[in-house]
Amino acid sequence: MNAQLKVVSESYYAHQKVYPREVDGRFAHLRVLSVWALLGIFYLLPWLPWGGRQAVLFDLPARKFFIFGIVFWPQDFIFLTWLLVIAALLLFFVTAVWGRLWCGYACPQTVWTETFLWLEKFAEGDRSARQKLDRAPLSARKLARKSLKQFLWVSFALWTGFTFVGFFTPIRTLSAEFLAFNVGPWETFWVLFYGFATYGNAGYLREQVCKYMCPYARFQSAMFDRDTLVITYDTERGDPRGARKRGTDPRAQGKGDCIDCTLCVQVCPTGIDIRKGLQIECIACAACIDVCDDVMDKMGSPRGLIRYTTQQALEHKPSRLLRPRSLIYGALLTTLVVGFCAAVYMRNPVALDVIRDRNALYQVRDDGHVDNVYTIRILNKSEHAQRFALNAHGASALTLLPRMAEYSVPSGEVYSIPVRVRRATYEPLGAETITFELGSLDDANVHVTTRARFLAPTR
Amino acid sequence: MSGPRVNPTRARQMAVRVGGIIAWSAFLSAAVATMLCFAFIDPHAFAAGATPSWWGPRMQVYAIGFFFFWGVGLAAAALAWFLAHGRRMGR
Repeated sequence: MNAQLKVVSESYYAHQKVYPREVDGRFAHLRVLSVWALLGIFYLLPWLPWGGRQAVLFDLPARKFFIFGIVFWPQDFIFLTWLLVIAALLLFFVTAVWGRLWCGYACPQTVWTETFLWLEKFAEGDRSARQKLDRAPLSARKLARKSLKQFLWVSFALWTGFTFVGFFTPIRTLSAEFLAFNVGPWETFWVLFYGFATYGNAGYLREQVCKYMCPYARFQSAMFDRDTLVITYDTERGDPRGARKRGTDPRAQGKGDCIDCTLCVQVCPTGIDIRKGLQIECIACAACIDVCDDVMDKMGSPRGLIRYTTQQALEHKPSRLLRPRSLIYGALLTTLVVGFCAAVYMRNPVALDVIRDRNALYQVRDDGHVDNVYTIRILNKSEHAQRFALNAHGASALTLLPRMAEYSVPSGEVYSIPVRVRRATYEPLGAETITFELGSLDDANVHVTTRARFLAPTR
Repeated sequence: MSGPRVNPTRARQMAVRVGGIIAWSAFLSAAVATMLCFAFIDPHAFAAGATPSWWGPRMQVYAIGFFFFWGVGLAAAALAWFLAHGRRMGR
């Protein structure tokens, strides 16, 4: 059976609940730190004010994205796409060089599962206590423990859903509405939807999300090469496995360093045996490294029987950080990031839309003048209010009405005004393309032009 | 190679898992489609008379749009699965 078929058929195996054992050590500390930092950012960021508004707000109802000092409009969609491409490429680069760091420390699935495991441990106890509780018949104690867990999970999930919605609709207004039991139907729906997704994914699906649902887990192997950092059991050093007395030399007994305590299997959140080699299920959480280092310390053997290393190093060859794959990903990433920063910095802080009046193509006046009516939309994307002057010119002599008008537009606002362009004489020109020019009266560098059609009868 | 042997429990688990995969892939495509669609189309840019009766505030149109795309994705993924594997279920 080839590898792909194996993956497909294994995805139909009956699922068995994994009870990951708690682990303590260098990498576990790193993950705890990462969980606190990332969840801290997630839960606190929407509450951060910035110049009288929410610092990070993807205001979908108003179709504006606020990210600290910058306001993005639907017209800036290219920046969002650009940012997503950068994020994807960064993931490729990190994966090629350091393996599945993302999965082990930063993926929301990992971070929330870890938190839900803490809550579970708080309510039901450690691994063996949880297994015992699940096997035990229903009793008052079991019911109490399970209810406490459910209460903690549901509350945390709802808070998560609420925070999530708070990124899209102002969270202070939302919380006031919540306290007054006056939340809009769609906000309520999305809080429950995201809350339920968190509850299901972090409480029940857990490692199954990584194994069966995550597209990245399936294609990350394409970014791996022999120089990628992976978590591996050193077969050469560890095998043949077997128990021995503390402090004795395994070699003298014809054994390797592995004492076959199976702790590495017990701590694995995806329930695999790392000693069988690199597997697609491994999310590189390094729990097995921590626990094995601990065992090696106790046995008096050097640490690192399971460790971060590369295929090359295992074969006693030098690992290369600089190689075509990392260089190409790195160069592409640098180019995109520099380009993105430059583009955002040089972005025109004002936009001008010209929409033709749909009701009349043109009006021929008694005095022979031809009028076209337009709706002008001025978007002030800058951080301060500005006054603008508008002009229209073309091949013929044009007058813009109202004359000499000054438009004052607050920061982050759209100003819509109807204007009339008058061609002085009834010339046999027919239609022409004209140019609207908008300039800021406060900043000579800010100006923008937009072209539009001017329609007139041909004689 | 013959197809996998199917017993009732396994078949039920398989159905759940296939259903999950279909729903999840449709969900991902719906998320992308909704983002792309409403980045370019403002539900409020339509004249009042040009919109169907269920049209409403932007959030409502976004949500309906999302579920519409999810539905289309579900149908496409389910059909793809059926055409690829459906025959085996009838055995």
